[in-house]
This record gives sequence, structure tokens and C-alpha cells, in this order.
Amino acid sequence: MDESATRLLQRIVRRIPTRTLKTTLEKWDRLSAAQRLSLDFTEPKWTLLQKLVSFCEENEFTMKHITELEMIHVIENPDQGMWYTLQLLDPEDDAQSVELMMFREQFKSHLHELISNVSVKIKRHTDESVWIRIAWGDGFSRINHLKPTYVVHQLQSPYVFVSSVSSKRKPLLLQALTLSTRHQAIKDANLSGRKLTAIRDLVMRQYQQVFPSKYPSCLSENDKALANLHIEKEQAEASANRCQLAGEAFGGEKLPELQSAVYKLETKFRDPTNETMMEREEPFRCVVKFTSTNLLESLKHCASTGIASTPVTPLLSSIPSKGRNYFVITDNAPGAASQTRQTQN
Amino acid sequence: MSLLKPFSKLPGLNTASILLVEDEEQFQQSLADVLVKETNVTVTVRLAKSLPLPMDESRPRIDLVVFIINLTSELSFQSAEASLKYLDPGYFLGKACFMVTNARKASVPTERVDAVRKLATLLHCPLLFAEDQTSEGVIGAAERLLTILKVSAGLVPMTTALYLSNLTRCTLPPDIDQPSFD
Repeated sequence: MDESATRLLQRIVRRIPTRTLKTTLEKWDRLSAAQRLSLDFTEPKWTLLQKLVSFCEENEFTMKHITELEMIHVIENPDQGMWYTLQLLDPEDDAQSVELMMFREQFKSHLHELISNVSVKIKRHTDESVWIRIAWGDGFSRINHLKPTYVVHQLQSPYVFVSSVSSKRKPLLLQALTLSTRHQAIKDANLSGRKLTAIRDLVMRQYQQVFPSKYPSCLSENDKALANLHIEKEQAEASANRCQLAGEAFGGEKLPELQSAVYKLETKFRDPTNETMMEREEPFRCVVKFTSTNLLESLKHCASTGIASTPVTPLLSSIPSKGRNYFVITDNAPGAASQTRQTQN
Repeated sequence: MSLLKPFSKLPGLNTASILLVEDEEQFQQSLADVLVKETNVTVTVRLAKSLPLPMDESRPRIDLVVFIINLTSELSFQSAEASLKYLDPGYFLGKACFMVTNARKASVPTERVDAVRKLATLLHCPLLFAEDQTSEGVIGAAERLLTILKVSAGLVPMTTALYLSNLTRCTLPPDIDQPSFD
């Protein structure tokens, strides 16, 4: 096993927490039964690592096997690192009939045409999504497996999720993706986050939605506790109304976990009491960033408790309704509508 | 303007009604659960986010209005201040009080505590400090409110709300406007 493979193995084992290491190794299924039994997972990580390195040398594993292990780990733990969403546009006539085998061959051949020194691994996951691991190399340098790019694509949907990729390689990746999925263009969908499952649920609307109804059924646990006859809420209707509107804007239980929302303002300064700033012709550039462990839940809470006024402003409610968390706001439409970053497509 | 008036209705027999006004609507729920457990008196609790209250003919006579302010939130303080306008001046003769939470938190600016103190002093109201995170804190706060409530409802002989408020009203320490040593 050569040095770079050893280094990659060391890096992977260091990153995987011991409690998940056992299941990951079992899924990998490359070690013999005897080797697996001799691993004691209560030992410190570095002893485990040394043992694993020696097993891999024994079994004469190559980089191929090690990258397989890494891929298994990433597929099982997709909620780490940053993921960016892309959207495929203008499908050709046969885009609907693209299936896995065809996509796989096409993608590999297109990417190899564009850049010869690249290593691609494609795997299909149980939930109909295709996972691609790409390790890049230049014409002059060897393939660098320590900085792979992961791409997840749900076949038959226009969405692609990409982890870190350098700006030099990105156009190559985008071109290969567009051609192999039989579309004409691809654009940045302006949605990013740490948890892949969350951004996928958000953009494909796979979370509980709340629909407008004549009788708001906003039962929180507090309301049930107030069944006591002697306790009465004075503004119960207003509170139920707020709760219903908040649910309509953001969703029901268990909202997808976004970490941030960024609004880039390019609007003119508006404050009648400040003449000097108002006189300027250029827009007042400002960036507003909301961060939270669960941003949608926080915004929903703001709306239901009255901190944010209801009905919820489209600036906030377009995060779930448009499935994005990066907005550029200009002065064009009344009421500061949001626009996409790229004006084409 | 619909003011809440203290003596516009007749009182009930052996009953007392309390109105808890809190912008965040958290502490008032737990307080209400403890208050209704009182056995000597029938306590009715009304919960509101802010004043003015919607028109309701069936609302009983409110004996005590409590403004609950969370010191960590400026919004909470401003909402309470804005609600004061909708209370008939008759309430400020011992039938209104302030209850604040989170006074021990380091993140609370001293200016806000001083501002609440000054407000309570100006209105001749008692200022109670409560702890809302533990059940003992909630029970303690509820007991203190019940003491004042029973007097305000006229259920304690030889005492009225006005007499009690002279003893319990908030006063400013003489050095309140001087910088504190932190």
C-alpha cells in the first residue's frame, strides 16, 4: 500500500468517531473475519489505526479500497461539511429517461474528456440518489485524494448537491453534469447548509406543510394544559392566528435544519431624517445574516410569538417557499422582492 | 380607549381574579397552574400578552394586574411600558404590581433594572423579583402574588390594597444614578 493511500486511511480513521467506526468497517466488508474480531474498539484510536494500517498492508489494499471506505462513511453521515445546491435547467426531450447506467457512463466519459487526470467513483444509494466521489489532479500533479468533491444527484429531479469544489474545477464538473443528465444549463440554486438531509428536504418539500384552513388547529401543549376552568387566555384568537400564519409560512413539526440565511441588500438608503445619506446615488450595500442551530424553527417561533409581524413578510417566508437561503435584494420591485444572483437562465 | 377599570363590576363571593400580562407568554402559564391550586379562595387567572384587552362582558372584576417583565429582553420591557397606558389610574393604588425575572443574569444591563425600578417607584407599585426556571421559584412567586391578591380582593380583614401598597411599594436607593462598581 503506497504512502498516499496510508495517509488517506489515517485521515479517514482519525475523522470517524470510534462508535461509528465499527459499523462503517462492517459495511465496508473488506477485512477478514479474523481481522475484524481482533479489533478491540475500547482501545485508543491510534492503536486501532495502527492495526488497520497493518491489516490493509496484509490484504494489499490500494487507494481504490480506501476511497471506498471514505465514501461509505460520507454516505452514512451526510450532515457534515458544507453542501451547495445546484439546479439543472432546460431538460432535453430524453432527460426523463436517463437512468443510472447511462448516467454513470456518460458522466465518467464526459469528465474524462474534460480533464484526463481524475478519479471518479459512482455509487447508488438506497433512496434513489446517486453519490459521486471525484478526486482531482492536474496535468502535472498526481490525483489528490485528500480533497475529494462529493456530488449527490436525485435522478429524475433537477437538483444536485455538491460539497467543496475549487473554482478552477467547478466549470468542468458543471459541464459534465449538464451533459450527462441531458439538460442544457445548470445554475446555482442559492441554498447551502451543513446538513445534506435538511437542504434536500427543504428544496424537495419533503417536510410537513401547513395549509390555510378556516379553523386553525394550532394546538400547542400550553393550550392543552390550560384546560383548567379558572385559567383563561385573553387574546387566544390573536395568538392562534399568529400560530397558524407562522405554520403556513414555515411548516409544521420538524422543520429542516438550516444554519443561516444571508440577505445582500443593494437598495438605496431610506431615512428621511438623514439627508446626507439619502442624497447618495449609489445603493447602500449591506449584508444581513441570520444564524441559528435551526433557523426555520427560530423564525417560526418569532412569527408565532409576535416578534416578527404576521402575515409573515415574503422576505422570510421565501426561504422555505423558494427553497433558498441567499437573497440579493434590489430596488426594482415594490416591497423589495428577491432576485436570483444570475440574471440568465 | 378601553381602559381596564377596577371597580366597574361587583366582586364574586370568596373569589379573586388576577391578570398576568407578559409579552413572552411563558412564565404566566406556570404561575397560573400554581395559582389555581389555592384552596382557601377561588382564584381566577386571566392571561394576556399585552393591553388593551378585547371587549369581553363576561370578564370578572380584576383585583390585581401583574406585569411580568423578562429583564433579558428589551422588547418585554417596552411592551409592559406600552400596556400601562390602558390601565385605569385606579389600579395604581395597590392593585397593580411588577414582577421581573432573570435579574441575576450577567447579560442584563443594569440600566434596564434601574429603569424598571424607576418605573415601579413612579407608579407606587411593588416590584417583585422572581425565579422562573425551577418549580420552587414558581411556587414562591405564586405565594407572594397570592398574599397581595387576597388583600386586593378584600378578603383580608382590616387591610386594603392601598394600606398594603404603602408598605410594599418600590423605592429607589439614594445612589441609583451613580455608576456601580462591576
